[in-house]
Amino acid sequence: MNNVMLSLTISLLFGIGTFLILRREMMKVIIGFGIVSHAINLYIVASGAFSNGTLVPILEHHQAVVGLGQGLIVADDVAAGVIGPITSEPYLEFADPLVQALVLTAIVIGLATTAFILTLAYRIYEEYGTTDVQELRRLWG
Amino acid sequence: MDPFNAIVIAVFLPFILAWTLPVLYSVFKQRIGWIAAGIAFTCFVLNAQVIPYAMAGTPVQGSWVWLPTAGLSFDIYGDGMAALLALIVSGVGVIIMSYSNGYMSTKEDLPRYYQWLLLFMGAMLGIAYTDNTIQMFIFWELTSITSFMLIGYWRERPESVYGATKAFLITAGGGLLMFAGFLMLRVVTGTYGISEVAQSQELLATLHGSEFYVAVLILVFLGAASKSAQGPFYIWLPNAMEAPTPVSAFLHSATMVKAGVYLVARMHPILSGTPEWLILVSGTGMITMVMAGFMAFRQTDIKAILAYSTISQLAYLMTMYGYSTAEHPGLGFAAATFHLLNHSTFKATLFLVAGIVAHEATTRDIRKLGGLRKEMPKTFIVAVIAAASMAGVPPLNGFLSKEMFYETSVEIGHLVGGPWVYIFPVVAVAGGVFTLMYSIRLIDGIFLGERTHDPDVPHHVHEAPWVMLAPAVFLVGLIIFFGLYPKFPIDYLIQPAYSGLVPHAETLHIKHWHGFTLPFIMTVVTFVTGILLYKFYDTLAAMQNSFNAKLPWISVNYWYDAIVNNAKGICKKFANVTQPGPLGGYIKIVQLFMIFLVAWPLYYLGVGAASILPAGMNFASEPYEIVLYALIIVSALGAAIIPRYLPAVLSLSAVGFLVSLLYMYLKAPDLAMTQVCVETLSTIIFILVIIKIPQKFKEPMPAGKVMVNLLISGAVAFSVFAIMVNAGIGIIAPFESLSHYFMEYSLQLTGGLNVVNVIVVDFRGYDTIGEISVLSLAALGVYNLILSRADSGSAAEGGEEE
Repeated sequence: MNNVMLSLTISLLFGIGTFLILRREMMKVIIGFGIVSHAINLYIVASGAFSNGTLVPILEHHQAVVGLGQGLIVADDVAAGVIGPITSEPYLEFADPLVQALVLTAIVIGLATTAFILTLAYRIYEEYGTTDVQELRRLWG
Repeated sequence: MDPFNAIVIAVFLPFILAWTLPVLYSVFKQRIGWIAAGIAFTCFVLNAQVIPYAMAGTPVQGSWVWLPTAGLSFDIYGDGMAALLALIVSGVGVIIMSYSNGYMSTKEDLPRYYQWLLLFMGAMLGIAYTDNTIQMFIFWELTSITSFMLIGYWRERPESVYGATKAFLITAGGGLLMFAGFLMLRVVTGTYGISEVAQSQELLATLHGSEFYVAVLILVFLGAASKSAQGPFYIWLPNAMEAPTPVSAFLHSATMVKAGVYLVARMHPILSGTPEWLILVSGTGMITMVMAGFMAFRQTDIKAILAYSTISQLAYLMTMYGYSTAEHPGLGFAAATFHLLNHSTFKATLFLVAGIVAHEATTRDIRKLGGLRKEMPKTFIVAVIAAASMAGVPPLNGFLSKEMFYETSVEIGHLVGGPWVYIFPVVAVAGGVFTLMYSIRLIDGIFLGERTHDPDVPHHVHEAPWVMLAPAVFLVGLIIFFGLYPKFPIDYLIQPAYSGLVPHAETLHIKHWHGFTLPFIMTVVTFVTGILLYKFYDTLAAMQNSFNAKLPWISVNYWYDAIVNNAKGICKKFANVTQPGPLGGYIKIVQLFMIFLVAWPLYYLGVGAASILPAGMNFASEPYEIVLYALIIVSALGAAIIPRYLPAVLSLSAVGFLVSLLYMYLKAPDLAMTQVCVETLSTIIFILVIIKIPQKFKEPMPAGKVMVNLLISGAVAFSVFAIMVNAGIGIIAPFESLSHYFMEYSLQLTGGLNVVNVIVVDFRGYDTIGEISVLSLAALGVYNLILSRADSGSAAEGGEEE
């Protein structure tokens, strides 16, 4: 089960982002988009960090020399709300590397989309002279 | 030279050298046409190397490893049939590219023209020599694409664009059907190979016994028919005449349209010998032959007459390849192959004549032309011989293959029995009569009769320059030579072609005089009827015109236009229904659905409103964590509430940097580093953009609307919160995490200690390629958006990427 304070923070980010996306001013919508992306990324990463004691998913040499399937233990403890922390013999817990890899990709793609949306906003302003989304729709017909 | 290497070089030489033409153009200027012709000639010589092997009955075979995991290799199979098509393609290629030196104005975009011609030639050679279906499909669609580019060569003309689009939609669409047929063939036989199936009695028995046989036959034939403009697919060929005339002569009479016929010949050993084959291939061929020949009457453009004539002549070939029974699978094969060669000679010549006439007399309208024989005597003689060959006048080559067509039609009639004894020969004669009539029309309309004085035709028409006349004269030489000495083409080209594919094909016994046999009588009937009916040529054409005017829907074009034009309209209507209004509406729908997605399972699982927050929640947090959370929320609220752009953007950037700090705390150092870099960049882009956008718009915030939006946002926030705190207690079914695999194998398989990095660059490397593509596309999008500015005066911005 996730930490309540962390969950609260992430869900508030979601709420604030949503509110911004619902606005009419284009720039505010884009800012809202940025906040919601942060919230989504955090949400995914948080699901892979299990408790305060987990380690970053970077191995030491001695941790990896143990034989396949022996050194690391998967502790899917569903009852305790814990899915898949990975532990090694001296009771070291690692954060989940997979979710981090996913989010790494997402962050970079987020940059690409942000740059694209911003350029689009800039061009829209140049062409139509407004940043009001509803007004744009009217102009477009 | 090793014949395998010769074939490979012949196929790839045009592809490689095509890209050098723009460079060569800067040196040689308009003379690059001769360079292109030289490349074609090299290919011709290379292709000729295959002939000895084909004659000896030992086809040139070889393959390169291509995609071994998919069971694919680059397979070459050079038998007589392949050599015949390859020699026609490269030979006509030499003639056309030489002729183009006279036809194409030096002001035209010559590198583009010759580039596409060469690419087309390479693709055709690829079709000729290919020995697996996937490779066939690739080269097949390449010819469709190159044909599209060449038909649409004069891009600014709407007719060219229409013709190119039509040709592409039909031939490429047919290619996709053929591909589906090939895949079915693979399912049944377990191989992509063509000769492999054709030479294995076992696989052939499996295929013919399979329930997929008819489906394979129909799909492959649809591909062939669309390429060769047979049946209802004929409509693209007349419109393809918008291409420059040399292109029409090359692609749309001598070579590309033969690809469909070639496919039928290539698949003949695999699929023929059944009633289905006879009905489908010969049936389509006979209907097309008669209809296209008849419809040619109505045409007034010389090239359009030739287009319908090509459709009709290709239908001859289809009909003959279709003549096949279980006992005599290759009845019409030899005759069809001979006619394929002959058609290339006389039809290419006629197109060259059409080009000459259009070039010198400045119009192709047969009503405006007439009496040109005195001013263009050489062209006149060339045209008469070619048209006579097409009409089947002895002793030219067209006469020989036409006789064989009649002969095989009689034979198939006897083999099938019943009323078909008469139907086959009668339809064949009808096709011959129509051919004769439009052949007379061509000569009569252009060269004979009174000299017309139409304003579109110059007062004095010159004879063609030698550059344009010489290729036509050369082809006429072939027509006469093949007619007088048929043994030469038969021994070197035709006999190797059919004996390689259909071992028991009827051997050719060509003579000019067989005695008073049935085919001879049919020929006489053809000539008498044709000449008698020619008197009514204009009446028949007028009848067709009035008939079409009364019943417009009878034309296939009517349906094509209806479908293509309506497709645009339907798409527009669909878009108007699905995207009616401002963005906010869609977002609300998405968010309401998201709330529903959370609420529904919570309700179903019996969590209920009372216990939506589970007991024993984990509130444990260090003070510094609380501080971090609070800072994030405060900055986010700042970004939301502050009306001015700059402070709001700075607040957003603060959120980003604080989030990267949070990633550190969440044991994700790689993310933290990436986030810092990305946040820096996106802040810069944000600021560059807001500098350019003055903040004029003051958004009205009526209390009611704010309340509704707050409610939605609050519900979204609460849904996320509920999901997060309930995660792991029944909402998500237990599953085994994948992540331990990466942890275990990271060092063993890749030698990397940082598991996140290893996943990104190694285990999930393809995802990263996808990510890079997204970045490149976004960069291109940004670049083009900036480029699309009408006024390029103001400063650029926003191009920064990783």
